[in-house]
Amino acid sequence: MLLRRIYQFLMIYLLGVLCLLVIKVAADLSDYVIPGIDALWLSVRDVGWRYVVDVLDTLRVAVIGQVLSIGMALFIGILGRQATWFGSFIKVAAYNVQAYPIVAIAPIIFILLGDGFVSRLLIAAMICYFPLLLSVVGIMSQPIPDVEHFYRQTGRMRWQLEVKIRSFENLSKLTTVIVGSATLAMAGTIVAEFIAASAGIGYSIRIALYQSDLAKILVALFMIGITLSIYQGILEWVGSAVKKVWAR
Amino acid sequence: MLLECHNIQFRYPGSETLLFHDLHLKFDTPGFHALFGPSGVGKSSLAKIISGHLVPEGGVVRFNGKGRPLYGYNLERLPGWSSVGRHLDRVTPGHHRALKEKLVSAFDLEAIMDQHFSQLSLGQQNRINLLRYLVQDFDALIMDESLANVDEKTRGHILLTIKTIFPDVLFLYISHNVVEVATFCRDIQVLRGTHKSPRVVKVQGRDCRSGADVDRQLLQNTMLEIMNAA
Repeated sequence: MLLRRIYQFLMIYLLGVLCLLVIKVAADLSDYVIPGIDALWLSVRDVGWRYVVDVLDTLRVAVIGQVLSIGMALFIGILGRQATWFGSFIKVAAYNVQAYPIVAIAPIIFILLGDGFVSRLLIAAMICYFPLLLSVVGIMSQPIPDVEHFYRQTGRMRWQLEVKIRSFENLSKLTTVIVGSATLAMAGTIVAEFIAASAGIGYSIRIALYQSDLAKILVALFMIGITLSIYQGILEWVGSAVKKVWAR
Repeated sequence: MLLECHNIQFRYPGSETLLFHDLHLKFDTPGFHALFGPSGVGKSSLAKIISGHLVPEGGVVRFNGKGRPLYGYNLERLPGWSSVGRHLDRVTPGHHRALKEKLVSAFDLEAIMDQHFSQLSLGQQNRINLLRYLVQDFDALIMDESLANVDEKTRGHILLTIKTIFPDVLFLYISHNVVEVATFCRDIQVLRGTHKSPRVVKVQGRDCRSGADVDRQLLQNTMLEIMNAA
């Protein structure tokens, strides 16, 4: 699972770099526009380690933001699973809010909270929260009649049991949603750093952009991709381990 | 009268035609009775109305027993996070522990208690599902194809066991097996297509009990009566 994700990323990344090199050769572009292999290698040696630290800093914010989002989405999703006015309100609100590009309100957050850790965390959490909430509400409000019927008939159904049944039956779906939200959390954090933060890989990309240094940007993209692949692979592994242990 | 459906009117949402129009049927005594009929005539729908899962547009269901009749069907599943044995232990009331052990043995399920539901054959799944209903406190149980995929010999043994252990309970057995219904059931309410009148015809079954022989000629006559009614 983990290795497959890394292979897939490496293949796509190498294909992308190869395409750039083909364009460079075909259009006879200078190293200033598209760097060659040697310039790329120099950038790796120059900023590689610093970018590793930066991307880990970004990942730290993204993971905390994602964990907060998962917790909140599960809490609100469980509350909003029922066909009550509150449930309907949660669904409609989540549907409408997730349709709005949250990143557009990022400047307001930076104006109000400054460019520190909290702003990055808040934007990361907000960007992955609403799609997560929508998925969790969808999963939790979908009955599993073939399993739940007996408990309802015999008066044994409690909300905890209902949530347990629906979570167990949709564990693969929940894992996929959580793995997908990792990309959103990472993207949210990078965008936040890109806009106004003073740390993280997004901030480093912004500096490289001002220097028009594509080599550094390519190194940053590699670091982001490989880190995210490993993180998502770990999440998938945890999901399947939970299912195995739960079904034992 | 133990269970009565009086002037039931019902249609599924979005459907223009009534599935039941002034449907009337009753079961006067406890015992093993049947709802029989071809696919699509509304046996399961009627069972859901009786058990309170569907609400009819008109008419009433009267039941002289505790609560509502239980309704079990053959597609039900046990949760996948524990073995069937652990699940049964959890859902069996304390005063029915001995009954559970007796039924596990009678249903030939001792060997699979440590397995998970998904690891069982369809016949074993149906037997386990039926068993967990039988260990509840109930006055009436609707068995909707509850013994589907179980071999004929085991099915017969299970039905006779149920009849012996629960003589004072009302069972409504839904099955497409005319031999089985004619052999083991007492009152057989044959549901007919929506265009036929009357909608329900009652046929007297052989109500075979443990140790008693069935008169083959009478059984054949009952089967013919059921088929003609349907």
